[in-house]
Order: sequence, then C-alpha cells, then structure tokens
Amino acid sequence: MKELTKDEVRGLGHAVGLEIQDPELTEVTYSLNALLEDLDHINPPGLDKVEPLPILLPPR
Amino acid sequence: MEKAEIPFLSVSQLSELIKSRQVSPVEVVEGYLERIDRLNDRLYAYLTVCRDQAVEAARESERELARGEYRGPLHGVPVAAKDQLNTAGIRTTCGTPIFNDFVPDEDATVIAKLKSAGAILLGKLNMTEFGTTSLSHAFDTARNPWDLERFTGGSSSGSGGATAAFMCATSLGEDTGGSVRGPAAWCGLVGLRPTWGRVSRHGLRPGMWSMDTIGPLSRTVEDCALTLQAIAGHDPNDAYTWDVPVPDYRAALDGNLAGKRVGVVKELLYADVVEPEVRDAVSQSVQVLAELGAQVEEVSLPLARHANTISSVLRVEAPTNYRELIRERLQEIAHDNRISYLTWSLTPALAYYKALKLRALLRQEVLAALENADVLVMPTMGIAAPKIEPDPIIDSKESSNRNRAGLTTSFSLASSPALSICCGFTSENLPIGLQIGGKPFAEQTVLNVAYAYQQATDWHGRRPPI
Repeated sequence: MKELTKDEVRGLGHAVGLEIQDPELTEVTYSLNALLEDLDHINPPGLDKVEPLPILLPPR
Repeated sequence: MEKAEIPFLSVSQLSELIKSRQVSPVEVVEGYLERIDRLNDRLYAYLTVCRDQAVEAARESERELARGEYRGPLHGVPVAAKDQLNTAGIRTTCGTPIFNDFVPDEDATVIAKLKSAGAILLGKLNMTEFGTTSLSHAFDTARNPWDLERFTGGSSSGSGGATAAFMCATSLGEDTGGSVRGPAAWCGLVGLRPTWGRVSRHGLRPGMWSMDTIGPLSRTVEDCALTLQAIAGHDPNDAYTWDVPVPDYRAALDGNLAGKRVGVVKELLYADVVEPEVRDAVSQSVQVLAELGAQVEEVSLPLARHANTISSVLRVEAPTNYRELIRERLQEIAHDNRISYLTWSLTPALAYYKALKLRALLRQEVLAALENADVLVMPTMGIAAPKIEPDPIIDSKESSNRNRAGLTTSFSLASSPALSICCGFTSENLPIGLQIGGKPFAEQTVLNVAYAYQQATDWHGRRPPI
C-alpha cells in the first residue's frame, strides 16, 4: 500500500475543514498510515461476502 | 460499627446493616466523605464531590426508612459515576476543561435509575479526556491505589481508583472498547460491560455511538450484579435499548458450574502482548473453573488478534461528536487526543466500511464460539498497570499504536457482555484481570461464572496499601 505523504494528509484535512499544521501534521501522517496499513493486512475469508452488520438491533 | 470501617463493607453487607437500621445512611455517607477527604488529593479519583447533595440525600434516605419505605438493596448506598454521565445540577466535564462549566439540567437515565433504587451519589469520577483510547488526563491523572505511580487504566480511571480505594461502595463507568474492564483489571475489581442495548445511554456524552455501554465497577460480583440490576432495562429515550425482561441478577448467582462449558480464547491467551505472569494467572484461574466443574476447552477467534485495529478504524465515529471543537479549539485538547481525533477525522469511508465488515465477521466468530461454550475466557489486559508517563510524540508508524495491551475489544465489537475479575497479582503486587465473555443478554451467566470463581478464591479480599 502506498503511504500518504504529509501534503496528501494536509489535503485530506482541508477537504473536511481541518487545517492541519506541524507538529500535528507529522504525527497524524504517521498515525493514519499505520492505521491504514494495519487494516490493509486484514483480509480474512468471507470478507467480500459479508454485509456490514455492526450492532445488535432491538426487535420492533 | 466505627464510621471509618463502613467503607470497607460490600454493598450487600452494607445493605443489610442499613435495612436493619444498624447503621444510618447519614453515617454511611459521612464515612465515605471522610475517606474521600483523606485520599482524593493523592488518588485524584473524584473530579467533583457532591458533599451537600449527598448528605441531604442521606437524610432523606433515613427519613424514608423511618417511614418504612425501603427501596431495595441500594437504599442508602453511596455510589459514584464517571464524569461522562450527565447529572442534574452537577457539573459534568467528560474529563476535559473545555466542559468545565457544563451543568446538565437532567440526570442520565442510569443516574436517575440509581437514585430511584435508593442509591446516593457521592460525586463524579475522573476519566481520560473525552473517554478516548489514550490514558491522557486533562485534569490530574487518576492514580492506582495499588501503586500511586501507576495508571488505573482508562477511560473510566476514577471509577477504578475510587472503587478500589473504598471511596464509594460501587461505581459506574462507560465501556466503549474496554473502558470498564481495563480499569477493573488494573485495580483488582469486578467490571462489567453489559450487552449493547441492555443499559440506556441517554444522558451519556458519547464516545462511539455503536459501541458505548455503561457498566458497573464493583469490588464483588454480587455488588456488580446489584448495580447492574438498578441500571438495566428499556428506556424510550434510547432507541437501541431492548424492551426485554431484566433477569434477577443476584438470584442467578448460585455458583454452580457443573456442566458449564468454558472456552479459552487461544489467540488472546497466547498473544505476544500477554506477559508471562498474566498468562500464568489466567491459566490458573481456568484450572479453578475446571475444578469447580466446568468443561474447559480451547477455542479459536482468528480475528480477535485484529480487534484493536478494527476498533481503531471504527473510531471515525468519535470525532463526529466534536466537529466544532476539533475545528475551533484543537489546541485545547490534550496532545494524544488531538492526534487521535485528527487521525480518525481523516480515515477514509472505504476503510470504515471495511472495518464494519470485519466487525460483522468477528461478531460471527464470537457467536459461533458461544454456540459451543457458555462463556469465553481470556486475559483482560496483557500487562499489569504501567507507570504513569506523559504521552509521547509519535515519531514513527510503530509508535502510533499505544493500546496493544488491551484484549477487550472483541466483545465490544460483538456487542456482547464481558466482565473482568481479579485473578491474581504480579510479583509487584499489581492486580491481574481475567475476562469472561458471554452471549448477548446473558449477563447472568457471565456473572455466575465470575461469582463461582470469586467464591473459590480470595483475591478480592486483598486491600490496596493506601
């Protein structure tokens, strides 16, 4: 997976109304890349077939 | 009984003495307030002590008893609540100075239920700022009664510290990914995360809407059951609470494990983050369960080792609660949370969607394992309470993940109940937690397994050196 650069992270922030500057920008870049990389490695069987049921819904 | 000795009683012991009028609620509250006065400057467990309100409530409680109006086992029992729960007329900070002046008009449903059950609110308890995943406190860091140089765990840090130090009879915390069970493990307590939907979240300042639960931290399983009894049940103000009967949790505590099936989650017992002393204590506690008649076998939850990553991606939900604060007042948020909120704000929707699918698969794994077992057991935390340190600057990808020791999130993701109970101590006299998870809405089963274990052991009888 290609890592996000600081400029790209700054751009992502701008897109959601957050103007992120250093020193936070460096830390957020490391943090976001680590999170996305970890997620990228999780590909269990059945992932493509399952629907994203997140919670237990009460009966109606 | 000497007033100073009253705080060392369990809720059930205290309840009997109050009911039989051997002690008065006023004496009880004064006993606790004196202990809070003596210890809070060292433990920082309370952010707000409701002294006058508590004494007045105790007087009213006493008047009710004189009139023969007994509300039940929590009548006159002093409790405390995490400062994430709204309390009418009492400031509710959510652990951040940003909300220092916020005074709600209305009690959270769980607070109203506790009061209705006769409990007396002593005060509001410290917590990590906003109740996020870090251990960062915006106020003074809550200190662990077993070693004042160490964390109590988070995010319900004051709930852990106050309950372990006998500064309240029982308490409420909030558990998103493990915020009740973590402090319970590190402080030597019983902490229960109920099924998502069992307890109303109305009046809770949200962390993650799809995982937040409110649960008790207590010194005994019986006290935990009594506390849960008071707060459980349907609430029209929380659309996701279930309108189903609430069992009598205390009555379900028969301690009989004969034929009960206990699954040991091997991915979590043998995880790299689990220190040998923790693994040994948990393994020995499993042996105790077997000696009590349980059928024990190892089970596999392959996705459990990824639960913290899945949960972290789902934390996208957290900053949505504070969009304006993050935009306008970012520098007022503590460093660790500042970085977390920004990171979660930028997490792509496709990543969130993938994490939701992984959550569904993990939940399937948990429920499938519970088809063949009544409960699943594993360590609560891989390590005992660490020393208090300032949160470090993130200077690499590797240093960005500081929550690896928590083994609690699988049950949060599965929306299932899970409890932590003390199962031993390290060589440094620090508590170790055994985690017991069960089927959705089977809190009584989880509590009963914990009860059987607690009856067979004496870890809960130890007192912290304070």
